Amino acid sequence: MLCYLDNSATTRPSQRVVQAMIDCMQEGFYNPSALYAPAVAVEKKITACREAIALELHADASRVIFTSGGTEADNLAILSLLSERRGGRVLFTAGEHPAVRAACEALKNSFDVKEIPYDRYGIVDLDALLDLLTPDTRMICVMQVNNETGAIMPMKEIADLRDRVCPNALLHVDGVQGFLRLPIDMKALGIDSYALSGHKIHGPKGIGALVYSERTRIVPRELGGGQEKGLRSGTENVPGIIGMYEAIHTFPRENEMRKQKLHLYERLLEICGENLHVNGPQPESEFSAPHILNCSLVPVRSETMIYALERDQVFISGGSACSSHKQKISAVLSAMNVQRKVAESALRFSLSPYTSSEEIEYAAGCIARHYDLLKRYERR
Amino acid sequence: MRQLILIRYGEIYLKGLNRPYFLHALVDRVKQVAKPFGGKVWLHDARLFVSDMTDMEGCMTAVSRVFGVHSLCPAIEMDKADFTAICEQAASMMEGITGTFKVDARRSDKRYPMTSPQINMEMGGYILEHTQGLSVDIHHPEHVMNVEIRDHAYLYVRVIEAVGGMPVGTGGKATLLLSGGIDSPVAGYCIAKRGVEISAVHFHSYPYTSERAKEKVITLAKQLSSYCCGIRLYIVPFTEPQLTIHEKCPEEYGTLIMRRFMMRIASRIAEKEGARALITGESIGQVASQTIEALCCTDAVVPMPVFRPLIGNDKIEIIHIAEKIGTYETSCLPYEDCCTVFTPRHPATHPKLENVERAEQGLDIESLVQAAVDGAELIEV
Repeated sequence: MLCYLDNSATTRPSQRVVQAMIDCMQEGFYNPSALYAPAVAVEKKITACREAIALELHADASRVIFTSGGTEADNLAILSLLSERRGGRVLFTAGEHPAVRAACEALKNSFDVKEIPYDRYGIVDLDALLDLLTPDTRMICVMQVNNETGAIMPMKEIADLRDRVCPNALLHVDGVQGFLRLPIDMKALGIDSYALSGHKIHGPKGIGALVYSERTRIVPRELGGGQEKGLRSGTENVPGIIGMYEAIHTFPRENEMRKQKLHLYERLLEICGENLHVNGPQPESEFSAPHILNCSLVPVRSETMIYALERDQVFISGGSACSSHKQKISAVLSAMNVQRKVAESALRFSLSPYTSSEEIEYAAGCIARHYDLLKRYERR
Repeated sequence: MRQLILIRYGEIYLKGLNRPYFLHALVDRVKQVAKPFGGKVWLHDARLFVSDMTDMEGCMTAVSRVFGVHSLCPAIEMDKADFTAICEQAASMMEGITGTFKVDARRSDKRYPMTSPQINMEMGGYILEHTQGLSVDIHHPEHVMNVEIRDHAYLYVRVIEAVGGMPVGTGGKATLLLSGGIDSPVAGYCIAKRGVEISAVHFHSYPYTSERAKEKVITLAKQLSSYCCGIRLYIVPFTEPQLTIHEKCPEEYGTLIMRRFMMRIASRIAEKEGARALITGESIGQVASQTIEALCCTDAVVPMPVFRPLIGNDKIEIIHIAEKIGTYETSCLPYEDCCTVFTPRHPATHPKLENVERAEQGLDIESLVQAAVDGAELIEV
């Protein structure tokens, strides 16, 4: 049985997504900027995708820019600040994805860039945030859901603090892990920009979007034919957009992810007992995303368990997939002050709406078998 | 007139009666690497030539990696009768080059009507007249226009240094212990350079080491094999011996006993391969298992010589060679190899052989070694 529990790294495009993209490439391949009828039909589909995204986020469809993915969307929003002459403070949370962190760090010459610490559950420390906020704060970057721990950030409280101390500061949200899995209302919360990615929601890779508020000024980084209202030149990735539209349209809003996650957690608890450490909010807590469970099966090292499970066709990850080439403790777990020994055993299970109880049972069975064997050989 | 590669060999030239044996091996190796480029290879008058290759630069890179080749030159071969035509060609080859130059003629066809000094003067004069930005300096020229008068005339300016050494296969066979690190590929390179045919053994400790670690070693072996004309790589399942050692032996001897197992397994495989020696990338004092005392303990279980070409090298020197031969970047990929899986906190740095042997007493060495040898997977790269 193939058991894919690494849906935070990427997801399998659904059959309908694949079919929609094939149809698009075979029949609807026209350049949406062209004048004839079939091209206009393509443009209409692009508009439909913009509307679907805007509807989901309570935003305005005219302010949705298609990008190559989450990284580009984050970069576009954050690096637009470079045109600001005034300087000021830029904040980002300790566990932000490198797409946000690196973009913020690129602003260091002109801005006072600071990191907002996490508490031990991997949630933004609001007291610390209040201390960091200054009236000249220009931007606050907060991820909706942490990609490694599944911690949901207290967006309402953060937005309130912003409104109190620095109402002009832009609130940028990296929604790559949260989009469709958790509701969010950009208007009500006063979110100024929101980045999302197609391949995390059973859509294709190479497509994402940046949604922005009326008061946000986006400065283009791609210059050329003036597509996307001049904010992102380059012929639209039409198959990608069509695929993403289908993904949004067909994503099962009603699902059993949380139930499956709790089931997995209970099974792990049976297997490891007191050696099981949850990294992040408790799985049943309201701050825990429905699809991500990060825990350490002490003393078995992450990579050892990952390699052992790979032969059973159970695929999970340690930190985030982007960091698996780097041999160090995850920055997110470090920010949470997780003990080194526990962090070295951290495993991330990320579920999809299609994950079944049979898969969870199978994965748990494999883990139990390996854990019994591997725990005997503790590394020094 | 045609373009070809002129190849010069070094040390083989010093060989006496058995020179043809070495030359044959060299021709075979050059043929092997020139084949994918469609190149024709022949030996004439103490030079090797390659002609008709589809990709000159690609073929030269491949040839420059053949052990036994000292240097190579992209050359023009033309009829030697018309000296003016030769001079014209020489001048056209010097076009665009500025600075000082000289002509260096060699006349192995002694019936040719001009002597070497005459050729030097005449051609030098012609080049000076027909190009710009060049002046003559016969003592320290920046560029040399080489002319060889043999059955044809051969002209070349660019000389590419090659790897040197002796043709692979002329120095017997040895088996390399190939980890994923920086040192072992370099050690393999150094020994292969002396004409030794290499097979390699890698120890894989699944699930403590990954598929990626194994892929990394296969990549390293491929990189090395571009010099060695093919490597037979054995991937040995090493988890069982490692876990047994970890469980049953005193911690401080863990690494040393592991090294002894690796040596035992590698020498069994070497015997199977007809190899007469082992090669490792060890260097004195680099880690605890590489002190002289530790090396004595590992050597005690090997029934054949162990070559350690890097024994006196600093890490930085080893890195330089690794960069030159193109294995450094791959070696630096961070996938763990079996050597570091169960590293003791305080390994014994001055072990006594009798203590190590005592520490091994509880183990069924023979069956662990045999199972590992039997389970080895052979990959030819």
